Amino acid sequence: MKTTYKALIAVSLLTVMASCRESFFDINTTPNNPTVVPASVLLTTVEYDAAFTSTNDLNRINEVLTQHMAGVANQVAAYDVFNLRGASDNQWNGEIYAGMLTNAQRLIEQTQQTTPAYAGMAKILKAYGFSIATDVWGDVPYSEALQGLSVLTPRIDAQQDIYLGSSEKKIQSLFDLVKEGMADLDKPNTGVLPGADDVAYQGNLSRWKRLGNTLMLRLAVQMSRKAPAQAKQIITEILASPAGLINDNALDFQVGFGTDNGKQNALFSFNYVNRTGDLMASQRFLDTLTAYNDPRISRFFTLAANTSRYVGFNNGATTAAPSVVANRSRYGVYLIGTGGEAPTRIITNFNRAFLLAEAVVSLGVAGDAQALYQEGIRASMLKAGVALTDVNDYFTKNPQIVTLSGDTQNRLRQILTQKWIANIGMGIESWNDIRRTGFPKLALPLNAQGDNPAVIPVRLPYTSNEQQRNPNVPNPGPRMDERLWWDID
Amino acid sequence: MAQEVVVSGRVTSSDDGSSLPGVSVQVKGLSRGGTTDAQGNYKVSVPANGRLVFSYIGYKSQEFPVGNRTTLNVVLQADATNLGEVVVTALGIERDTRSLSYATQQVNGDRISQRGEPNVLNALQGKVSGVQITGASGEAGASTNINIRGIQSFTGNNQPLFVVDGIPISNSVDRTNLGPNGTLGGPQSSNRALDIAPENIESLNVLKGPAAAALYGSRAASGVIVITTKSGKNAKKKTEITVNSGLTFQNVYGLPNFQNGFGQGLNNIFQSNSVASWGPAYGSPATLENGFFTRNATTPTQLDSTALFPGGALPAYKAYSNYRAYPDNIKNFFNQGRILSNSVNIGGASGSSNYNFSVANTAQDGIVRNSKFNRTNVSFGGNTVLSNTFHVGASINYSNTDQSNSLTGNGGSAFGQLVSVPRSYDLPNLPFQDVNGRSVFAGTPGSNENPIWGLENNRTTSNVDRLIGNINIGVDLVKGVNLFYRAGIDTYTDRRKQIFAPSAARLLVGGVGEDIYYWQELNSDLILTGQKNDILPGLNIEGRLGFNVNQRKSQNVTANGQSLTLPNFYNLSNATVFSNNTGESNTLRRLAGYYGQASFSFRNYAFLELTGRFDKSSTLPLSNNTYFYPAVSANVILSDIFPIKSSTLSYLKVRGSAATVGKDADPYQLQSVYVTTSRGNNVSNIAFPINGQNAFSISNRIGPGDNLKPEFTTSYEGGLNLGLFDNRFSIDLTYYNSVSTDMIVNVGMAASTGYTTRTTNVGKMTNKGIEALLTVTPIRVKDFRWDVTVNYTRNVNEVVDIAPGVESFSIPGSAFTGSVPSIVKGQPYGVILGNKKPTNPDGQWIINPNTGLWNPEVSNQNISNPNPLWIGSIQNTLKYKGIALGVLFDTQQGGQLVQFSSGSYKSNGTLDVTGVNRQAPRIIPGVFEISNADGTKTYTPNNIQVDAQSYWRAFGLQSDLNVFSATRYSLREATLSYDLPASLISKTPFGGISLSVVGRNLWYFAPGSPIDPEVNTQGAGNIRGLELQSAPNTRNYGVNLRFTF
Repeated sequence: MKTTYKALIAVSLLTVMASCRESFFDINTTPNNPTVVPASVLLTTVEYDAAFTSTNDLNRINEVLTQHMAGVANQVAAYDVFNLRGASDNQWNGEIYAGMLTNAQRLIEQTQQTTPAYAGMAKILKAYGFSIATDVWGDVPYSEALQGLSVLTPRIDAQQDIYLGSSEKKIQSLFDLVKEGMADLDKPNTGVLPGADDVAYQGNLSRWKRLGNTLMLRLAVQMSRKAPAQAKQIITEILASPAGLINDNALDFQVGFGTDNGKQNALFSFNYVNRTGDLMASQRFLDTLTAYNDPRISRFFTLAANTSRYVGFNNGATTAAPSVVANRSRYGVYLIGTGGEAPTRIITNFNRAFLLAEAVVSLGVAGDAQALYQEGIRASMLKAGVALTDVNDYFTKNPQIVTLSGDTQNRLRQILTQKWIANIGMGIESWNDIRRTGFPKLALPLNAQGDNPAVIPVRLPYTSNEQQRNPNVPNPGPRMDERLWWDID
Repeated sequence: MAQEVVVSGRVTSSDDGSSLPGVSVQVKGLSRGGTTDAQGNYKVSVPANGRLVFSYIGYKSQEFPVGNRTTLNVVLQADATNLGEVVVTALGIERDTRSLSYATQQVNGDRISQRGEPNVLNALQGKVSGVQITGASGEAGASTNINIRGIQSFTGNNQPLFVVDGIPISNSVDRTNLGPNGTLGGPQSSNRALDIAPENIESLNVLKGPAAAALYGSRAASGVIVITTKSGKNAKKKTEITVNSGLTFQNVYGLPNFQNGFGQGLNNIFQSNSVASWGPAYGSPATLENGFFTRNATTPTQLDSTALFPGGALPAYKAYSNYRAYPDNIKNFFNQGRILSNSVNIGGASGSSNYNFSVANTAQDGIVRNSKFNRTNVSFGGNTVLSNTFHVGASINYSNTDQSNSLTGNGGSAFGQLVSVPRSYDLPNLPFQDVNGRSVFAGTPGSNENPIWGLENNRTTSNVDRLIGNINIGVDLVKGVNLFYRAGIDTYTDRRKQIFAPSAARLLVGGVGEDIYYWQELNSDLILTGQKNDILPGLNIEGRLGFNVNQRKSQNVTANGQSLTLPNFYNLSNATVFSNNTGESNTLRRLAGYYGQASFSFRNYAFLELTGRFDKSSTLPLSNNTYFYPAVSANVILSDIFPIKSSTLSYLKVRGSAATVGKDADPYQLQSVYVTTSRGNNVSNIAFPINGQNAFSISNRIGPGDNLKPEFTTSYEGGLNLGLFDNRFSIDLTYYNSVSTDMIVNVGMAASTGYTTRTTNVGKMTNKGIEALLTVTPIRVKDFRWDVTVNYTRNVNEVVDIAPGVESFSIPGSAFTGSVPSIVKGQPYGVILGNKKPTNPDGQWIINPNTGLWNPEVSNQNISNPNPLWIGSIQNTLKYKGIALGVLFDTQQGGQLVQFSSGSYKSNGTLDVTGVNRQAPRIIPGVFEISNADGTKTYTPNNIQVDAQSYWRAFGLQSDLNVFSATRYSLREATLSYDLPASLISKTPFGGISLSVVGRNLWYFAPGSPIDPEVNTQGAGNIRGLELQSAPNTRNYGVNLRFTF
């Protein structure tokens, strides 16, 4: 008996001692996720983030505000009549700051010393991401953002400082950020260089420099009415830069998608997979395209299945849209491809041409506005898949459309109307343009509500998540009819 | 050597004179004796000068000298109800309630079995104070939430720990979220305590506070449910066979009242594709204007006779003739449910051994098609004393639980679509699918599907194999010193399959997913117990040292295939795309606990207990993974100390305790990680790999590294037990106050930091409450007895503090952005932040001067508080000879529920109120806001008339107008049982036959809610107070038969 007791006690004590060993508890490393990843998979993320952010819900808001599209049901119908409060947390959080920007920042930190080519790309994309944030919300966290636990409540920087920088406040301008990125592209690398993971440019660094210059052109024009002198100087520098601009459709910074579910572009995913009945062509946009005899209409929109006509919806209307979605005009082949694979065209040759045309007309930058205007229309039509002969035919038959005429205001109206047409599916670009220049002049939607039913919103309200968690963000913030810094009238 | 006498006799109860079976009859001073048989008879051999001690739970022990008697009939006096009872406490230690200084409440198995409720938690509803229990819905196998004394942790598990025969078991809710809506649109998964067969439960004890539960360590912070299964110990003979059979019918109840005056359409125009009921009044003549005739699209001067009627191409006149009320089209969507329950239990005891074997099956056909639940339990256990004085025991319980359910939740689920059925839509009789098996319904594909089609096609099945077992061995080392070891295992595998048939509103392309959950928990306890009486005169001491090792391992493997090629072939090989949540997730955690307890009892009227426990956890930083927490409790029985006992005051005890419980983190919280990139939500999304290119991104959560500590809950508890009038009136009153601090939370942070959450120790939350248990026996005469039990629970929770700069954050889990269950500083836990119609400083609605409708809602407002003010119940039990009638009423007072269904029923014009004065214009009582030049604002009354449709649609789906009071009164349970008298069955082989009828949820009254507010669509977990469109509750009627032989 006694031996049994002893054995039992001995076994118990052994168990106690065995479990005291630290290794018994050293099992807390996750087998479920990597804690370190190569730069390549982060770059792919950031490029797709740029595409997804500019075509997902911010785009849906802007597509209805700029009346490319009209909201028929659910959220987009609310957006159409300016009910935008409480809408964009997912965009601010998941797509911009804790999506595109944080991954760009991780990529920069990870590769700056070893493979600065990656860091350079990441900086250019980071500048693009911040430009979306500031152009949508105005003053936003920038210089203190993306620092994790080090700065839990980043201050918000004035839009002016984000665009122009401030040495006093230690804020780097977006232009300097792009330039720093372009300089990184020239530095020696020790790590593996980008290749297929760079889904837009396959690691072609000279194209990235063109992208950098074109992005700076876009930023300069965007602030050109508030800061015309600086804008003109920057644009002049860019035009002199040996790296060049995106001056061919083949150089467009764009990201392609697939045709399988979950792999399609955001326009297809929303309109053809998940919310087929919510959004359709704005009748107003269709009317413009029809009045302009524009051949892109068949590339931009589908025909109603029952009538073989283009059937749009008046923005803000409460009447019923055709109940069968096939009987509505929805995004067409240019925007969705055959099954959602159409690329998201983020920075394009046609926009470069329109931006320069605007700079020539409004800032007096050297150049031929007429030639640039036509270059933009032509590039957009070809991009949309209109045959070259049809493009030429259009130019022959519609001289009054493709020729700039009248005073500066009319020329700008012509340029920006064509740019508005070309930027279908990239509502953020059109919203920026319309707020900056007032062109094209859009009528209010029917039944407008929101903060001010008399004014098409000129900014989005700060998102409630950020307001709750970051006391630096004003709460309540500015109304949707209060203009941004660069938006002077 | 004295002469031996054989004494026999019968033991009866003073209450009603009935015979008492199972009474212990011991020869004083000798380890021999016996028990009474089923008729209360006994026979023992006693020395002539010996004394016999008769003892029985619930009765006062009595002692008689034998003298020369050979017959000794005894009448035992009933003792205080619930007082002096033996209960099973932490670690399976049996304690006399006298000595307890904290609140526990025991429920015997017969109060939870035979209730037609497969989930033991549902059967417990209303029967224990301090406990709130809410079922998810009436779907077969839906989970049930249980919180004891409120919510203690911001984001940790707040369900109590479940312990079966000394082994901690899992009560987790494993969620299957393969659709684009995640768990918001998933099926109603079970909580795993559902695997326990109520018929197999001997007793269930609820340990409410940390003091009671301290020995269980970290996981007991939310209380413990200690379940003791049948072991044969209480069997009245060597082999006793008990057979239980029950048949229960379920009918839905709690559906709202609908209007029956207007059918499908919008703007008073019939529209065959509409999911709303704003069409013309029934009986209106068919005209062009009301949509029954339409103009031909190609020749607009002609009428078109091909207007479609949903479900097939029928001419307009047919549509018109079918345009009438189908008052029961929603009601008839449901079936009558049926639960068949059978069990056989074979138990026995002889000498120092006992054993039990049981087989049980419960088969349920739910209230909608394809809703099924089937559970089979087989268990075997036994205990014996070996010849070498080792006590050994073992038990093993195997269960198989099969569940099949449809999707629930707003949007593309059967129940999310039910709210979109027009009043003139003959849902049960119209075809729900076309020749290709695709859904046929009104509305738009991708947003709508036929609810019946949804039930038929979009199923989730779950099949759980589970094994719970333990072995134990104990030995008395020396007199009063016992060494005990117990090892246990709880392991299950849940194999699930989820189907989205092509044309599903949630996933038009169709999908099929396999989701496998594996769980294994190993637990080892080594306990050394020492006991010494009369250390000082009257002072007894019991000490305990324990060592616990616990390991939990889980794996979840998911394959989620989408875009199905062939119809009706639901195999992963039919999928062309494998979505982002295809993959696996594993966890492993270990915890070692070292604990000690010293219990002092002085003259059996004063008690003191000290407990301390060290835990060492693998989930905390290695450098700082050990933490200590103590508990102290004491009580005195004043009625035994002071001469205050009288015919009025029979018992008075006061008690108090203070305890702290530490809690570790979840595994793998310390590091930041990368995840496969996916973006977007249910309306638009991408997931990698795309075009063969994979991508990773930094997770939205930033890890704390080594800066993480355990979280603590400290609780103070005081109470008294009072017995009056020979304990015919007794009250058990408890006040508690608990404070949780340093909670381990993934607290929200500004996304501008690059992350949306960080894991850290933050916050302070308090729970203060009162629990009362009142038992009264108004009538106790021969053959008749009336007992009343009243439970009262009030818990006040407050989130005192979160983190610097954080005023609120959302509770982890799926939520719609307009109705977010949140943790808000200064508010009770779980308030819902959502959209509120704007008001002026006087609380008047601000109306849009252009439309006459409400101004746009203000988001992120506190619109609903799911926490009740108090809950209570009254149980009446009347017994007359073998007949017993039990009636349980319960109520929840206060608390609110966000009701998506109400919002949908209003905006779709189906709720009864939307049919009242439908044709009359109305003016929303509110004001216009006019901004003056000086910055002030003036308000003038709204005078804009709006039509009924505009008015009701403006309520919206998610707004404060769809928040309703959850106050509810219900007749929870009524049982009538009849035990056949012994005289009738004494000639048969049966030891007892009893027949009972049970009704559950027989009646309810919810004055402030259009639907039954006792639902919680997200099921068990920290998210409460949301009705997101799921099955209503059920009213159950059952008959049960039990016989023993």
